[in-house]
Amino acid sequence: MTEETLVLFKNIRNPKYDKSLAAYKNSGGFKSLKKVFGMKPEEVVQEVKESGIRGRGGAGFPTGLKWGFMAKGTGKPSYLVANADESEPGTCKDRELMLKDPHMFLEGLMIGCYAIGCHHGYVYVRGEYFASIKSLNVAVDELYADGLLGSDPLGSGFNLDITIHTGAGAYICGEESALLDSLEGKRGHPRVKPPFPAVSGFNGCPTSVNNVETLACMPFILGDNGAEAFKSFGPQNNSGTHLVSLSGHVNRPGVYELRMDVNMKDIIYEFGGGISNGKKLKGVIPGGSSSPVMTADEVDVLYNFDDLAKKGTMMGSAALIVFDEDTDVVKLLHRITRFYAHESCGQCTPCREGTHWSRQIVRDFLNGNGSDEKLERLNRVGGNMMGTTLCALGDAAAMPIQSFVKKFPEEFRKYYATV
Amino acid sequence: MPLFNEFSMPVFHIDGEPVEYEPGEKILSAALRCGKIIPHYCYHPGMSVVATCRMCLVDVVDLGNGRPAPKLQTACSMDAAEGMKVETLNPKVEEGRKLVNEFLLVNHPLDCPICDQSGECTLQDYAFEYGSGKSEMDYSKRVNGWRDIGTFVALERNRCIQCSRCDRFTREITGTNEFGMFNRGHELTVDTYSDRPMTNKFQGNMADICPVGAITEKEFRFKRRAWKLKKNRSICTGCSTGCNITIEHDRNEIFRLKPHENQNVNKWWLCDEGRLTYRMMNERKTRIHQPLGRVDGKLEAISWEEAYAAIAERVGDMSPLPEEVLALTDTHASNEELFLLQKLLKDIFSAENIFCPLPKWEQSESEFFINTLITTDKTPNRAGALALKIKGDATSAKLKKAIEAELKVVFVLGNPFEAEVEVLEKIKKAQLVVHLGTFHNSWNDIADVVLPGQYYSEKEGTFTNKDQRVQATEVAVQALRRTRPEWRILADLSSALGQESSYGSSADVFNVMTKQVKAFSGLSYAEICGSGKELTQRTKDSGMKVVKAQT
Ligand SMILES: Cc1cc2nc3c(=O)[nH]c(=O)nc-3n(C[C@H](O)[C@H](O)[C@H](O)COP(=O)(O)O)c2cc1C
Ligand code: SF4
Ligand code: SF4
Ligand code: SF4
Ligand code: FES
Repeated sequence: MTEETLVLFKNIRNPKYDKSLAAYKNSGGFKSLKKVFGMKPEEVVQEVKESGIRGRGGAGFPTGLKWGFMAKGTGKPSYLVANADESEPGTCKDRELMLKDPHMFLEGLMIGCYAIGCHHGYVYVRGEYFASIKSLNVAVDELYADGLLGSDPLGSGFNLDITIHTGAGAYICGEESALLDSLEGKRGHPRVKPPFPAVSGFNGCPTSVNNVETLACMPFILGDNGAEAFKSFGPQNNSGTHLVSLSGHVNRPGVYELRMDVNMKDIIYEFGGGISNGKKLKGVIPGGSSSPVMTADEVDVLYNFDDLAKKGTMMGSAALIVFDEDTDVVKLLHRITRFYAHESCGQCTPCREGTHWSRQIVRDFLNGNGSDEKLERLNRVGGNMMGTTLCALGDAAAMPIQSFVKKFPEEFRKYYATV
Repeated sequence: MPLFNEFSMPVFHIDGEPVEYEPGEKILSAALRCGKIIPHYCYHPGMSVVATCRMCLVDVVDLGNGRPAPKLQTACSMDAAEGMKVETLNPKVEEGRKLVNEFLLVNHPLDCPICDQSGECTLQDYAFEYGSGKSEMDYSKRVNGWRDIGTFVALERNRCIQCSRCDRFTREITGTNEFGMFNRGHELTVDTYSDRPMTNKFQGNMADICPVGAITEKEFRFKRRAWKLKKNRSICTGCSTGCNITIEHDRNEIFRLKPHENQNVNKWWLCDEGRLTYRMMNERKTRIHQPLGRVDGKLEAISWEEAYAAIAERVGDMSPLPEEVLALTDTHASNEELFLLQKLLKDIFSAENIFCPLPKWEQSESEFFINTLITTDKTPNRAGALALKIKGDATSAKLKKAIEAELKVVFVLGNPFEAEVEVLEKIKKAQLVVHLGTFHNSWNDIADVVLPGQYYSEKEGTFTNKDQRVQATEVAVQALRRTRPEWRILADLSSALGQESSYGSSADVFNVMTKQVKAFSGLSYAEICGSGKELTQRTKDSGMKVVKAQT
């Protein structure tokens, strides 16, 4: 299969599309919202459950279930916050949506707000995404001018506001509870869970945090026969099309919209046009820098949540990073450990100390001071961050370390073996 | 671990032993309450749970539904649940603690030999217990350096383990928000905002709650190793709150005062002003060292026997009428001492004129509990005096009238009314002025006999705080050789003046007092020695005004 399946990108792939509200409406936009306004919120949540959509932010948690968990009858307002902090290395799909078709995402956000009874939705955008921020602000202005936001859109009687909030450039603010702290104006530090945001989130009120792409799927899912169609785009439990950010040593890197039953090999060789400069493949990082690395002979696998999990890795945010035979794996790992050492919020012990220490050890290899003992130590330090931290960043930092040491031990040895 | 015959609360199990918990209580909190120690750094019962140090990892082998938790859990943040089974000693947990402690030591200077926390440092303790003894850290350690953050405490950031207790303290306990966490990742550190020194009046508590030697008391630094200090329970007499303290001393010198937890009084805290009163306790220069008698207009050293005999003789010669006898006291005297003074007047002279300055004061309300600790009221046993119906203030008509009389015998306990020139002038004219006190003051200039008493750190006594709670002090250090506790002096005086008394201890006096004074009835000394007990019959303090919180 070498064709994209266009749901989220149906407008973006249309060269004539100008992302204005008028153009979006022309393409059938806001029909779903209108339909949703005629449904009960529980029915909307039920539709979303039926579609089987799993969150596209990295964890793959079923969105319908998440919305179903929202605390009810608390007497407090509920909030929906779109997670647009996209910063997992390799991931660049939310940017496409916000930049090139903001209305589809915003319609999804509005559907979500209606489903969970939220009258004020927030978009927390990564601070460096200047163009996306502009694009979103223009789109939101259009919606207010058109009466689709504000009081009583489409005569629904459902008042709704949306605020675009920009982050200040921290990966950890993509973690949902740190995001909420940051949105509240505090330091972006992940919170202890429970309570989960669904019970106590933004300003202590029930909150759902959802990825941009997850929300952008809503207009389709709530469209005619949408849930059924969505489910048909992939194997069981892996519904829908999704956006794959393909990067690294391929001839045609980019964001592709694919069904969930596409083979990873095909993504690299068909969509990506094969390894650049005619080189051979050495390995891939399948789902953003935190996912365990795979070697060239492991790439024959369906690219979805469950099939990758069976291989001991994960799809994460669907950021497929490809590297060729000339790649220095130790340098690659050093770059990754540097990232996590820089982005750890530092509040919990194993992550604060472990990310930095492991980076120091990898650098030692690059400096020619490696040894068997240090390789073992690197693996141990990485492993000690696994499962012992407050938020998943500790795991995210641990997984690449352990997998690189396991899959490419020879590459490390090259740095210190006497010839 | 107490054995429960009957459980009134729900129960879960820690290492096979049943533990009661309140619904919503966390594993660690329930464990600590029944004396089960689970190593921890960031958790503090008085502040929010952040679960960041990760030291309190435990193995929840049964969540209460028959299934185990998938990985180790932090006991400080996990709710206890009916039927839950928690293991805190198995190899998995040991492994978890080891790895957390190793991480904490990776960048820790381990300069214990020159660190004041040494000996009372949880990091040090756990490093002994869970450390491997050798470091695998080959690289230079993080350096953040020393910061001058306030009047009372010093900050050595290299030793900080980023537990955020100090940060939460100024946010949640004092509400002053002057201290916080800066930077992120392995550079995360603590400091004051904008380089401004801290202003809160409770900084010493930050040294207490800092589990390591990052925040230490400036007063105490480099003076004594913690393990040399002996500790005695006492009550701070800096103001009428009566915070529970431990007096920490070595070789008869007091080095610091630390709060002793009492949920009904000071919780875990103490104010800096109170901490500084330890200096007074070590003061020797201005102390009265031995009994003094006035010979040819000058005070000269005499023996106790001479002093008592002289007083008895003079009193015998004068045989004063009740209105010719007067006693003045301050509220640094214990309940027992006030009681004996009152009794002495009544039994020997049938006199009732006893006065004590009780200035008006204000109790400010505050949304932050700690602010109610320091009061403007520096009369520590005010409520005790009121309970004994000892009143007065320099302007009161009764006192004015009393000093107008032809005074023959005046007893002065402590340092009352010292700024009231008129009172002093009048009393000067009395024929016999007996002063019982610890420090030299203006009363000495007019006293005929001076009897040296003892400071509260040197004797037993009970004090009644502003909430009418009676609390006890114990002997922490030895007093000067030729001084005696005031309760003993008053008892001796009574004997010398013809009314035999045979109190063996301050507690004996207390027991008599509970029988003779209605306000104190029903109290037992043993009860009071724990965390104090409130008077059942409260006396209203008309000098107290509650001021609403300013917002
Ligand atoms: C360290 C860390 C970084 C994360 N960064 C992002 C991010 O940039 N964008 C995102 O959508 N989710 C991110 N997540 C996942 C969010 O916590 C959350 O699961 C997600 O926003 C939920 O949305 P979804 O259910 O739609 O996937 C991150 C999680 C962690 C632990
Ligand atoms: S795991 Fe890392 S990023 Fe997450 S809370 Fe702990 S220190 Fe912060
Ligand atoms: S903080 Fe504790 S472990 Fe660190 S130097 Fe001081 S005593 Fe030693
Ligand atoms: S200074 Fe002490 S209390 Fe504050 S974070 Fe560091 S270790 Fe914790
Ligand atoms: S005490 Fe539980 S994590 Fe610090």
